[in-house]
Amino acid sequence: MTQQADLARPAPPEMVIDALSAPFWAAARERRLELQRCQDCGLFIHLPRPVCRRCGSFRLAFEPVSGRGSVYSYTETRRVFHPFFADRVPYLLASIELAEQADLRILSNLVGIAEPDVRFGMAVEVTFEDLSPDLTIPVFVPAGSLA
Amino acid sequence: MRGGRRVAIVGVGYSDAGRRTGLSERHHAAQAARAALADAGLESADIDGLTTWGGNPIDFAHMLGFSPLRWHLDVGISPAFISPAIHAAHAVASGQADTVVAMRVILQQPSRANLWAGGTGMAFDAQFQHPFGDLMPAQWAGLLTNRYLHESDATEEDFANFAVTQRGYAAKNPEALMREPMTVEDYLAAPYISKPLRLLDCDYPCDSGAAVIFTTEERARDLRQKPVFVEATGLSANHDMTFELLPDMVRTSPVHCLQQLWSHTDLTAADLDCAQLYDGFSVITLQWLEALGVCEPGQAGPFVSSGGTSLTGALPTNTDGGACNVGRRHGANFCIEATRQLRGGQSGERQVADAEVALWANAVGPFSGAMLLTGA
Ligand SMILES: [Zn+2]
Repeated sequence: MTQQADLARPAPPEMVIDALSAPFWAAARERRLELQRCQDCGLFIHLPRPVCRRCGSFRLAFEPVSGRGSVYSYTETRRVFHPFFADRVPYLLASIELAEQADLRILSNLVGIAEPDVRFGMAVEVTFEDLSPDLTIPVFVPAGSLA
Repeated sequence: MRGGRRVAIVGVGYSDAGRRTGLSERHHAAQAARAALADAGLESADIDGLTTWGGNPIDFAHMLGFSPLRWHLDVGISPAFISPAIHAAHAVASGQADTVVAMRVILQQPSRANLWAGGTGMAFDAQFQHPFGDLMPAQWAGLLTNRYLHESDATEEDFANFAVTQRGYAAKNPEALMREPMTVEDYLAAPYISKPLRLLDCDYPCDSGAAVIFTTEERARDLRQKPVFVEATGLSANHDMTFELLPDMVRTSPVHCLQQLWSHTDLTAADLDCAQLYDGFSVITLQWLEALGVCEPGQAGPFVSSGGTSLTGALPTNTDGGACNVGRRHGANFCIEATRQLRGGQSGERQVADAEVALWANAVGPFSGAMLLTGA
């Protein structure tokens, strides 16, 4: 892809990344899924927060997770809500239940599968997609399809 | 409400709501408040408390000549109009104020960021939504609707029947913005926004101001309208605003909210003559019907399709046509419709005969609220 084509493409939606969330995005740039975890009680916390809701600890750090999970729910977006996604519609959003902890959910995209083939509870695993030179996001594919 | 002065709703009012009216937030607020005062037969000088979501209560009070206020509250992100309404009722019950106006002013806006402007954490949390193309409430509603379809006995046809039933009520409501007859086929022909959520599962964005006046039982007896009493209230919050990450998308905060509400009254769901249950998206009303126990878990779809929510059904529901048709009054329409039903004779062709007990409820998922009203 030429540099000119990159410039023609609309930029992804603006994001507010601060010190609390920067490790998540830095890890994604290196194709790792890392989530915040309480260093005192072990609870994974997503979205990132300054305090652990279970034990009140402020000792929180990002740790790698397996990237394996299952589809809790999904929806196929049929409308263009931002120009960046104009050539992606329709696309799949999913709430993924991660393997590490009951009720640990992440919102992401399901890729490499068509909407009629998605099943509730189906096993998925993380992969990564570069949205721009500066932004890589974790997305999910059916388990085993990365081999 | 137990513990405090008995509280009544004595005035309700809307602004000239519509699509892109060109009127400001203050203009809609002023129209709604003046309409509610006129409905009640109250003067500006009678008002000593004001709360609103949308605009600022101090600003509105001065504009409307309510000064000085004894009580005011600027309500931010919360379960729609139920939040200012509940706070207003409790301010009167506790004696912090005698006569309080509760308002919801909302302009037609396209984005969640605008709808929920002011939430300090929302901009931060958006970084885990926007890059994935998760930009609008209709998308979390798609997730909730799909999980609901998966776990319940509901079908797309049940959702169609829900929309058709509501439109049938709207046809009997001169204030509804959407009144054209609708069929099941019309619903199924409408495009998906975020499959399985269709266009006609969504409330209808508009510019709107709404106001409801709460006062003491004693004061209410002298006023123009038959008082409608606040019997009990319930609030619940159990998650942040990220609907997409709710651990359970089917049994959400309305369950806990109603436990709170019923613990404050001897009445039960069996006493309800009508219900006004938030329909920002269709699935929300279905969740409330199940939380109320008017049907078995997972049976709200068949309940609707069998006529359960119609005027002759077991629980006439959203009798003004709901926000899908009345327009996005963000919950205030349900308070106003419940009040009119209980006054008797003010709901025209959609009047529930001899209505004495009504429940209205707002929001779903991470937060919700409900208020039980009685006509005597
Ligand atoms: Zn902890």
